[in-house]
Amino acid sequence: MTLSGRFVLLLALGVVPIVWFGPSSEQASGVLFLWLLFVLALGGVDLALAASPRAVTVERMLPSRVRLGESVTSELYLTNTGRRRLIAVVRDAWQPSAGAGRNRSRVTIPRGERRLVSLTLTPFRRGERRVEQVTVRTRGPLGLMNRQATLNAPGRIRVLPPFHARKHLPSRIARLKELDGRTSVMVRGQGTEFDSLREYVRGDDVRSIDWRATARRNDVMVRTWRPERDRRVVILLDTGRTSAARVDNEPRLDTAFEAALLLAALTSVAGDRVDFLAFDRRVRGRVQGASGAALLSQMVDSMAMIDPELIEMDWAAVPGQVRSITSQHALVVVLTSIDAAGASTGLLAVLPQLTKRHTVVVASTLDPATVLAAATRGGRDEIYRAAAAERALLDVARVSAAIRQLGADVVTASPSQLPPALADRYIALKAAGKL
Amino acid sequence: MSVTLTTDAATPGRNSGGSSGGGVPTTVATPTLRALLRRSSFWILAFAGIVIVAIVGVLVSGGSHAAGRALAGDNAAPAGSMALAEVLRQQGVTVTLADSLVEVRDAVGPDSTVLLYDANGYLDGDQLAELAARAARTVVVAPDFLALQALAPTVGFGGVSAASSLQADCSLPAANRAEELLPGGDTLSIPQGGHPLLTGCFASSTDTFSLVQVENATTGGLVSLVPDARVFNNENVTGYGNAALALGLLGESDSLVWYLPTLADLPRTGPPSLAELTPGWVSPVAVLLVLAAVAAAFWRGRRFGPLVAENLPVTVKASETMEGRARLYARSNARLRALDALRVGAVQRLARAVGLGRLAQLEEVIGTVAQITGSDPNEVRRVLVNANPHSDAQLMALSDALQALEQAAGRAVMAGAVPAAEAAASASREFSPPPAERMDP
Repeated sequence: MTLSGRFVLLLALGVVPIVWFGPSSEQASGVLFLWLLFVLALGGVDLALAASPRAVTVERMLPSRVRLGESVTSELYLTNTGRRRLIAVVRDAWQPSAGAGRNRSRVTIPRGERRLVSLTLTPFRRGERRVEQVTVRTRGPLGLMNRQATLNAPGRIRVLPPFHARKHLPSRIARLKELDGRTSVMVRGQGTEFDSLREYVRGDDVRSIDWRATARRNDVMVRTWRPERDRRVVILLDTGRTSAARVDNEPRLDTAFEAALLLAALTSVAGDRVDFLAFDRRVRGRVQGASGAALLSQMVDSMAMIDPELIEMDWAAVPGQVRSITSQHALVVVLTSIDAAGASTGLLAVLPQLTKRHTVVVASTLDPATVLAAATRGGRDEIYRAAAAERALLDVARVSAAIRQLGADVVTASPSQLPPALADRYIALKAAGKL
Repeated sequence: MSVTLTTDAATPGRNSGGSSGGGVPTTVATPTLRALLRRSSFWILAFAGIVIVAIVGVLVSGGSHAAGRALAGDNAAPAGSMALAEVLRQQGVTVTLADSLVEVRDAVGPDSTVLLYDANGYLDGDQLAELAARAARTVVVAPDFLALQALAPTVGFGGVSAASSLQADCSLPAANRAEELLPGGDTLSIPQGGHPLLTGCFASSTDTFSLVQVENATTGGLVSLVPDARVFNNENVTGYGNAALALGLLGESDSLVWYLPTLADLPRTGPPSLAELTPGWVSPVAVLLVLAAVAAAFWRGRRFGPLVAENLPVTVKASETMEGRARLYARSNARLRALDALRVGAVQRLARAVGLGRLAQLEEVIGTVAQITGSDPNEVRRVLVNANPHSDAQLMALSDALQALEQAAGRAVMAGAVPAAEAAASASREFSPPPAERMDP
């Protein structure tokens, strides 16, 4: 039961009769008493005539998933199972980050009928956004009193990572195609596979002339090459505590998602097999054996539910996890953060085990604020800040050098540049036949 | 949010009664009033029990509240006089308790006795005179100066009695029956040689007495002045001859008016109060507006369903360690340490700019940089290695010098006047033409 603004207004209107009929204190008090009785009686009648909010059946229709930044429509069907006409305000209690905006709506449902309440959701956080309850506040015919009840109507919608980096995909696919023998530009590496023979045209690399074929035919023949296919790529995501830190107002984990998705999309186009693993002390997400469109949808699906865990990454378990995915040679992409030498000892300790079998690329975001701070030398405080930034960059450089010394490759870039940089590195590795 | 009318055919599920098909009955999270009462019955009962106990307690102890007025006829505390009043009632005297002169006027008869105890001095001279004129006998307990002026101008204050015992020693029958009085109280003084209308009893010295009776020459009314109030109170009335004196003075007639003046006796002065100036409806309107405000608070304060909980992500900026280290440098004035960090970064950038490898020796870098920028190697060495800043100004100057050196080297390399650098570069690393082979741009 709740009061409405009309009730308060009606109560306050009692000033008029009290002033009108009450020159003396006793008369005015009597009028006040009578007015209170009148208002309470009216309110009681209104409350008794209000439809029961409990006699409402709620059904919910929701799309199961939405990409972050896009909008969906949530549909709520309300059936009035009571005996009275229901005039109500309905609140669909979504979590704030579901982006429901103003989630109250007025409905009038005659007895036994059904109405649809639709709400546009624009979630602004990744993960699972939930709604548990619907609150119905009905009012009486006079609008003085309300009845209110909260109904259980659970619903959930999975908000997938946005994959903004897909804008880089067409250009990278084009570069990937250039590696193939189909275009005129020949790029040749050691590990590339023999594709076909064709006639020599000016500009071809003379080293690729196939003399035997030339002898068989009366024309100069050259070999064309194409990159290897069906290689394995393992994307390993560090979801430990360092992945929670924000760089450019984006958690490192989300940047890693973008990079992983772009790499996976590119890899599946190139014909390689991708396995995805999100790990800190236990497996948070795993996608294995998928390809094509299913790969990306499975990856975003598993990524949607991954949040940074505030625990230390268990690097010692990483080689075992990689071994459980593949025993062949593979490209292992480790998406983590490279900070001070002390924080990276775990990674450095297990890298030799990985590089012995696999080609390893360690990718990390570099804070553009640090780079900017190192170059800003205005006053005393800024110089100390520049010194600290320089020190941080030196730490990163030192750890990167150590990683390179252990036989792995390092990619560091700002959050917006990391996904294309990683994709470029993949293309370069593929061109060099190092997969 | 929008609301749409739906028809039965177009909607999923069914809507007939909500009990079959897709109509899974929706459970209600809000408890009904009955369930709420049942759940909170313990607290309701506990609260009711406390209220009942409190009411009963007040009712039981209500008769004997200790904070009554001194010498009041209905006060059973040691300072009250309920004992005296009750004894007089048992003797057949009609005791009327009065709080104001108006009540006294109603109650007093031609043969009444009035007991007056005006501890706060509420009555003025005219009121005292009127009182003494109305009653046949007036007993004034602990009279103040104004009372003496109005009733017996010749009587003065005698100070505290120094006598060890107070004997009656006079012609008044009540005093004679009492024989002895509680010593050590206030006294009144009578002029030397006496006065025909004054009778003093219980003398402490030749002219100070603990009871003075004044006879009005015109009306014949008697005014008894008892300066010591302790004679009448519950605590002391049983000692010495106190009770005999009190009963003798007060029980002379069938009717006794027990008068303790209150604020109601004060003559009203000053401007009229706010309540008299404002119309009668002001207070009820104020009450109504307060009630409306309370109702408005309920209206606005009622929550539209429960709050929705959501786990929020941690917000940690990655650059916080960098900022913290900068503040540590600044607070401890670690100038050399800060400058060394800047120098190491600058040396690496310089080495890259002039085409030396990452593993180039420091002396090599200094020499090359000095050569291509055309500056003194010692000056370059001072900026890059030797100088030790002793103040923030020196630190800033060295930082600026580092930047200037980097810019000069960059300009020199850009200008192309770098034969030495090219020679150094070709010496330090091999030229690798195929772009596909280059892994580390």
